[in-house]
Amino acid sequence: MNKLITIKELSKTLGRVKAVNNISFSINNGELLAIQGHSGSGKSTLLSLLSGLENQDDGEIIFDNKKIGNMNEDDLALFRRKNVGIVFQSFNLIPTLNVIENIALPLFPTNVNKKEMLRRAQKSAEAVGLSNRLDHYPNELSGGEQQRVAIARALINNPKVLFADEPTGNLDSKTGKKILELLKSLNKEKGLTVVMVTHDDSIAKDCDRIIKLKDGRIQDE
Amino acid sequence: MLRYAIKELVKRKKKYALNVLVISLVVILLITLTSLNIAYKNASKLPFESIHSSIIIQKNGNVAENTTGALVSCSLAPIKKDLINNIKSVDGVQEISYGLSLWVFDEDNFKRVLGVNWDDSLGRKIKSKIYVGSLPQSDEEIIAEKTFAQENNIILNQKIIISGETFIVAGFSETTGKDIVSSDVYANLKPVQDMAYNSKNLQDTETFGESDINIIFVDAKQTKVADVSKELDSLLNDPDSFTGNTPTGQKIGSYSIYTPESFENQINSIFNISDKIVLLLTIVILIGTALILFKSMAHAITERKKEFGIMKTVGFTNKDLKKQLTLEVLIQIMVSFLIGILVSIIVLFALSNLTVSVNIPWELNPYPHFLASDPSSVNTVQTYPLPIQFNPSYTILPMLSILIISFLTIHILLKKIGKLKPMEVLKYE
Repeated sequence: MNKLITIKELSKTLGRVKAVNNISFSINNGELLAIQGHSGSGKSTLLSLLSGLENQDDGEIIFDNKKIGNMNEDDLALFRRKNVGIVFQSFNLIPTLNVIENIALPLFPTNVNKKEMLRRAQKSAEAVGLSNRLDHYPNELSGGEQQRVAIARALINNPKVLFADEPTGNLDSKTGKKILELLKSLNKEKGLTVVMVTHDDSIAKDCDRIIKLKDGRIQDE
Repeated sequence: MLRYAIKELVKRKKKYALNVLVISLVVILLITLTSLNIAYKNASKLPFESIHSSIIIQKNGNVAENTTGALVSCSLAPIKKDLINNIKSVDGVQEISYGLSLWVFDEDNFKRVLGVNWDDSLGRKIKSKIYVGSLPQSDEEIIAEKTFAQENNIILNQKIIISGETFIVAGFSETTGKDIVSSDVYANLKPVQDMAYNSKNLQDTETFGESDINIIFVDAKQTKVADVSKELDSLLNDPDSFTGNTPTGQKIGSYSIYTPESFENQINSIFNISDKIVLLLTIVILIGTALILFKSMAHAITERKKEFGIMKTVGFTNKDLKKQLTLEVLIQIMVSFLIGILVSIIVLFALSNLTVSVNIPWELNPYPHFLASDPSSVNTVQTYPLPIQFNPSYTILPMLSILIISFLTIHILLKKIGKLKPMEVLKYE
């Protein structure tokens, strides 16, 4: 498999705590990777570094042959827009926008015209099974539906990798399972690289590979 | 982004109502203040508009020892007609008209008589007020003012005696009586000059030449009125030639030069606010607006921290966020201005029902004190509708001020948003 992301001696300190401590590993194209660890192990910090939400203190991240560690904030924003999709535990939808607008949000600051924007948003909505709720607002949707909207939004720019931070954490087990199935199908059927942070063993065991973190270091791979 | 901005404002209209209310109020206050300020300035020009002139020149002279026959008021001493040529040479002077105003104490009644040239601007103004009869066709014909004619039961073509001379009433005019240079009788200039020249009482008081006049109207370019007035003052007045004071405190021998500015302090109204107070109020209003808008926008941005985190996460740069916020603020400003301007038009329409009273100095409309039932009433007060109206240019100041305040606020607040870490606001929600 081709390496999509290479992480070399990556470190990040938050306050006095070294949240990520000298970590090196790589992520392959089309891989379904679980990053596991207890609370405070540094898994979310690692995800924010890999997805370009924050800069590391030391080490380097090479994403598709480009170093992203040295980018300024606006360059990182553009990097995220073009290369990654991010899904959080708490859905994070804009309450004043309906489903289709929430999905199209990443395209708002681009030059994509309205027609194309709608077409792509509808395609993304179809991919997550939400075609029938496009006019609804987030407060009219169930938790599972809101997470599907978040995934559709993450997919709209055809990202190279989807980062998911505890994507089933706010859902009941049945709904969580469905979301997990969706992520797995995106990985298997569309070849999308998925990096998922979880503390749940049952979720992690279904992934291609598991990286276990403890105190900011890789404990097991 | 526009759609997002509109939906944000519509869905959370209660949150943005304060901004819209504040901006609308500022627009209403500033437009109303400016309109009132300018309306009262214009009101001071109204007494002059009625005579189509911008400057009036009169000479101060002596008081007659007795009241018989034709006289001139001490504010209307004789002026040599040659002076007209000197005045014409002043830069900015466009048209000059003149007349001779007399007090005539006849046995049966007192009358004010004004001699005019019917072809100059003063004559034309009086001509336009004739509602019955026609212009005097000869020196023996006169026009009688309506109120004077009614009080003295004068009818058309009636013969009346003025200072011993017989005249025929050729028509009636309708003037307010309180206008500048209003009179009871209007006649050709020549017979009035003869009347003055032949009046022993007048000649004993002042030296009156055959072609003298005693009031000059100068129409100057609007932008040059102040300069022309200053120039005329230095041209006409020689302080060394003044010989004493008139009963109203003017220097005998001096020329009084009246302009619309002479009336600015003669308007009594709580709404007549000076330029300095308008400026002060404007500054206070704008500082208050800046504080309220900053607080309100800062609050809105703090509340939307999570939303900005989401936007940054999905790839909005700080420039994109600025664009988004600017759009939202621009829409609020546009809505507020629309409301503000509409309400201002209604407010100004309501204010146009106000009247403005202008005290016209006695010197400009002299009437013998001893003939007035109340001597203090000889200082005439003229009342006009307040000339207030909406002028689109009055929106420029509030528009620019609000735009500057809003964009400065966005600029300051964006620094706060720029430092926002998406993970911090999104992870633990």
